[in-house]
Amino acid sequence: MNFQGRDIISMNDLTREEINYILSKVPEVQNYPNKASLCNDKVSAMLFFEPSTRTRTSFEVAMRNLGGKIGGFYDANITSSVKEESLWDTVKMHDGYGFDVIVIRHPLKGAARVAAEAADIPVINAGDGPNQHPTQTLLDLYSIRETQGRLDGISIAMVGDLVNGRTVHSLTEALLKYENCRLIFISPRDLAMPRSIIDKCARASIDRGVTFVEAGRIEDHIGQVDVLYMTRIQMERLQERALAEKFRSIYRLEAGMLSEAKPNMKIMHPLPRVTEIAQDVDETPFAYYFQQAKNGLLVRETLLALILGAIT
Amino acid sequence: MKDRPITIAKIDSGIVIDHIPAGKAFLISQVLGLNALARKTGDIIAIGINFESQSLKKKDIIKVENLSLTRNMLNVVALIAPMATVTRIENGKVTEKHKVDVPDSVGDIVMCPDRFCITNHEQVPCKFVIVGKSPLTMRCHYCETEFFGPLIKYKEKN
Repeated sequence: MNFQGRDIISMNDLTREEINYILSKVPEVQNYPNKASLCNDKVSAMLFFEPSTRTRTSFEVAMRNLGGKIGGFYDANITSSVKEESLWDTVKMHDGYGFDVIVIRHPLKGAARVAAEAADIPVINAGDGPNQHPTQTLLDLYSIRETQGRLDGISIAMVGDLVNGRTVHSLTEALLKYENCRLIFISPRDLAMPRSIIDKCARASIDRGVTFVEAGRIEDHIGQVDVLYMTRIQMERLQERALAEKFRSIYRLEAGMLSEAKPNMKIMHPLPRVTEIAQDVDETPFAYYFQQAKNGLLVRETLLALILGAIT
Repeated sequence: MKDRPITIAKIDSGIVIDHIPAGKAFLISQVLGLNALARKTGDIIAIGINFESQSLKKKDIIKVENLSLTRNMLNVVALIAPMATVTRIENGKVTEKHKVDVPDSVGDIVMCPDRFCITNHEQVPCKFVIVGKSPLTMRCHYCETEFFGPLIKYKEKN
């Protein structure tokens, strides 16, 4: 399998075999004797039209850890886009500056696909609005595989704002590529998983033995799952502040609720966390979210090394 | 029934799109860009509305005095009129008669209904994959939004 020069725009572009291949390469990059010179002459353009903390930093560190360099911008207000330069032109220009890969984050859906069509060099989507964030999904899958030893047959509960959270949409669609997974969607009715994703689950239940259920209470399912994937109730997306506060108090995980959890159960979260995971959970053996964020660095290093042709 | 012998004149060379559900001819003409074609070539385009039909009761019909529309181009008609038939006439003779097939993908003839899609903010030609035929369901190539029914809105082609 050769990923050199390939765009990573959407999880929908990757087959199960390709996902497995990328994840299987993580240890190779980590143990590579000259890891710090794997991407020696390579330069990554960071085109961040929207703020980012973890994704941006981890891509930067990943590139530095491989011996590469970075350029670009982190604030669209300082670029020509304030002069109404089109995304196409901005990407085209960077494409001609001698970069080897473009990492792009943009507030609009589909922007990364446009960038990939404008650029000759490979493009990695670091989040296109509420649409896709494939490197987050890859690191989620890597974290599940690391902690559970498999992706087939996983039982996972996703909790919180399932209507606005792109990570849970992407993760669900990715898990539908695997066999016999059990998916439990726990949210207030106002923030339930979109119908289009539920329909995909229904189709996968026939093709791949997936089972799924929509539920309202975390407590009812903690004892059954391998992974508890918590998400933030996105205050900025809810009109009524009082409603957001109410949801936040209901969909909150505390250490005391974990007595029934299976020993292998891990709690994950794409971060940032607000109040949905109490700090006392951090001390339990179930907490995995900080390691999960750290895994993001490993997965991004691997992806860069593959796309830049440093490993095959 | 009162005899209503209104017909559209025969064409010597061109394409007849028949069995269009009544009221859809203008939309099909818009999607195929027939207005622009007529302006560019000077060829006659006849649009008939509410003709009697055995199978549809009422139907629309389009005659285009031009042979440049390929079978592939005409397949977009199936999005609006799945039962339509196309007859190709050359030198007064029928050379081909076929149904239309829903294409696998369509180009810049539909608008993405997602207001956060890049195609609604920058000059990016739309592209869609047809992911379902009944009901007709499309997925935006860029923002990956899937939609069907009244959310499918066709672009006005000048």
